[in-house]
Amino acid sequence: MAKVLIPTPLRQYVDKKDTVEAAGATVGEVLGALTTQYPDLRKNLYTDEGKLRSFVNVYVNDEDIRYMSKDATAVAAGDTVTIVPSIAGGL
Amino acid sequence: MIKIEPDAWTVMVEHAKTAYPNECCGAMIGTIDGDEKLVKVSVPLENAFQGAQAARYELRPEDLLQADREARRQGMDLIGIFHSHPDCDAYFSETDLKNSCPWYSFVVLSIQGGQFHHANSFLPNADQTAADKESLEHPR
Repeated sequence: MAKVLIPTPLRQYVDKKDTVEAAGATVGEVLGALTTQYPDLRKNLYTDEGKLRSFVNVYVNDEDIRYMSKDATAVAAGDTVTIVPSIAGGL
Repeated sequence: MIKIEPDAWTVMVEHAKTAYPNECCGAMIGTIDGDEKLVKVSVPLENAFQGAQAARYELRPEDLLQADREARRQGMDLIGIFHSHPDCDAYFSETDLKNSCPWYSFVVLSIQGGQFHHANSFLPNADQTAADKESLEHPR
């Protein structure tokens, strides 16, 4: 099982937990298991087309999955998966 | 509603004034009680936008990751993001909206002529198409 750290505003969808354990050998599988267990979380992370929303970044331990194998990035038991927003702006 | 404690507010304003005429950015850490958010610590972060920063900012996700970890370590939560608008009003621009995230409060500080002028807070929606203004309370 991997440990998934839940951002504060999303804890309302996971029984107010700050960390949830989910099974899976890849990031896609872990997030799939997580959003199957907590369906209300899904629309916050994925678009209607099933893609991760543009502002959602995922880290496995300290590694950004965009620079690894994205959804296929391997997750080992005991790894920490963190959901981090992508934020920018300007005038 | 979001309320910012004096020490956290001072850090935000000083970061914005130091970055002027460029935009600054940072994270706000604190507690949430129902609809009330209280910012206790502000964390200045580097504007990572590659290019002219007078009208753009970008947060490195790994910096936010560290801010989130620090919040958890202190038993608090990452509850918002702040950035500045140099010589411009504190509105939520189209660029802000298209690069926002609906999970957090976004406080915008207007810095005019190098001095703090006014600030507003916004709550963008998940589709990045609109942002509601949020009641903001900060020290004078």
